[in-house]
Amino acid sequence: MAHIIETDRLTKTYAGGVTAVNGVSFAVEEGEIFGFLGPNGAGKSTTIMMLTTLIRPTSGRASVAGFDVAKEPDRVRLSFGYVSQELAVDDNLTGRDNLFLQAGFYHLPKKEARARCEELLKLVDLYERAGDLVETYSGGMRKRLDIAAGLIHRPKVLFLDEPTLGLDIQTRRQIWQYITHLREEVNMTIFLTTHYMDEADALCDRIAIIDRGVIKVIDTPANLKSRIGGDIVNIRFAEAVQEKIAEAVRAVSGLPVVYSVKPHKGGCIVVVKNVESAIPEIFQVTQPLEVKISSVTVKRPSLDDVYLHFTGRELRNESGSREDAMRSRMMMRRMRAG
Amino acid sequence: MTLLSDIYYVCWRDMKRFLVQKPRILMTVVQPLVWLVLMGNMMSGLTDNPFTARMLGVEKYIDFMTPGIMIMTTLFGGIFGGVSLVWDRRIGFLNKMLSAPICRASIPVGKMAATALQSIFQVSIIALIALALGVRFSTGIPGFLLMIAITTLFSFAMSGISLSIAIFVKTIEGLHPILNFLTMPMMFTSNAIFPEAAMPAWLRTISAWNPLSYAVTPVRTLAIEGWVWEKIIPGLSVTFFFALVMVFIATVQFKRSIA
Repeated sequence: MAHIIETDRLTKTYAGGVTAVNGVSFAVEEGEIFGFLGPNGAGKSTTIMMLTTLIRPTSGRASVAGFDVAKEPDRVRLSFGYVSQELAVDDNLTGRDNLFLQAGFYHLPKKEARARCEELLKLVDLYERAGDLVETYSGGMRKRLDIAAGLIHRPKVLFLDEPTLGLDIQTRRQIWQYITHLREEVNMTIFLTTHYMDEADALCDRIAIIDRGVIKVIDTPANLKSRIGGDIVNIRFAEAVQEKIAEAVRAVSGLPVVYSVKPHKGGCIVVVKNVESAIPEIFQVTQPLEVKISSVTVKRPSLDDVYLHFTGRELRNESGSREDAMRSRMMMRRMRAG
Repeated sequence: MTLLSDIYYVCWRDMKRFLVQKPRILMTVVQPLVWLVLMGNMMSGLTDNPFTARMLGVEKYIDFMTPGIMIMTTLFGGIFGGVSLVWDRRIGFLNKMLSAPICRASIPVGKMAATALQSIFQVSIIALIALALGVRFSTGIPGFLLMIAITTLFSFAMSGISLSIAIFVKTIEGLHPILNFLTMPMMFTSNAIFPEAAMPAWLRTISAWNPLSYAVTPVRTLAIEGWVWEKIIPGLSVTFFFALVMVFIATVQFKRSIA
């Protein structure tokens, strides 16, 4: 077994003829946080549902922890934890009962189940509220409980489908902390999907950008960003004679670290290879030329730019089915509750 | 073995959900109380008339009605047993269960078992209320236990129907009208509230085929007439096979729907 998750030309065509995932192949290393990035409807959830044995692939192959998802579903199920994008916790049970139930589904002996429930409740900071009904929990607390439930059987792989969808900024950062903590403490492999750029950037070791069921690119966030070119430096000059400014721009464009220069409102926009060394060099060549730089702003390319580059469109939600809309409305309601 | 454990946990969850909803428990007590006190008294004049009393076969209408209310309550509890499946699907809990290594069959069977347990609880409460209102079962405690067994089987059959429908109708908005549409005609074309002797011939034929009547007759016989086996056995065996078939259909449909 080389990789903890492996897919080979994995394809899912739904009954209506829609191909949600089209020939997707990738491999995830053990202990990695691997992200699937794309808008709603890109095929992220369908991929996760095939890997978690919830739907059968139409064609192609996938394995988790060395077991084929179609041939040995029960062994696959024991090796992963799944936290869906819906908050799949039972509002009418207490937090503790939710975990105990989950332990029962994984056939843990009762005594061990009780011990693990307490341990996980402490891990996700819900110990104090464990005896309360989940309907009194906030959205973030429910999400934490849901993640804890996914960990009850100490899985090798954790699937997180849109782990911070609908959560506020603070809660999102908190969830991120739990996720990185899991990787550091227990070397768990985490497969997550997201349509938040910052989330993919902050958490993932590697990212696959998926669009309309096809993987466009797989790489580390840093490499992805460097692929679309360098950093962007916006320089403004103080009032000076036009020829002097033109001369300065020419000097800047002659620098070896500079990819391109475009004049822009009494200054120029410079794309450079490496911003740390480029800025001192820019100052050096412009100093003797009787022009003063009045401001310098630096913009590093974001994953948004990367996404745009690889898919040719902005990352935004696409409209889903009526049932999807109903489910997300309902989830939002539960998120806000408590 | 894991099948039994999985059924236990699915059932355990539904029972916990039931017990936490105080208004729901209260309703299960209040509803039969209203039926028995209101309907039982409203119709008590019927038995003043010797002719209708003979049709009912009892001295007080409430004696006739108590077994009918037991089955009706079981019908209502059972027929809405599928709602929880739709709900689980919507909140993602169904997928959570399906991504765990649990036996697929344990999900419908566990839910049916929980519905059946709730029906036992409800039927016992009806019996207690009836007892307080002066109803006496002619077969005593052993008879009552057999009555419980029949209502439990009937509950399995009803929740089996409900789940089989809920598997295809995936929204609560779609499911409710169907289930409501099923219950009312079933109730009024049976001998639950009115004696078959008082029905026109065509209705009597429908009632004779109505699964509700098959469950009511043996329970009523146990409550009123005693151990009259020739009136108990047919209803008991039909209800038993009905339950068996519905559990089977619900389980197979469920497995097929998720494959």
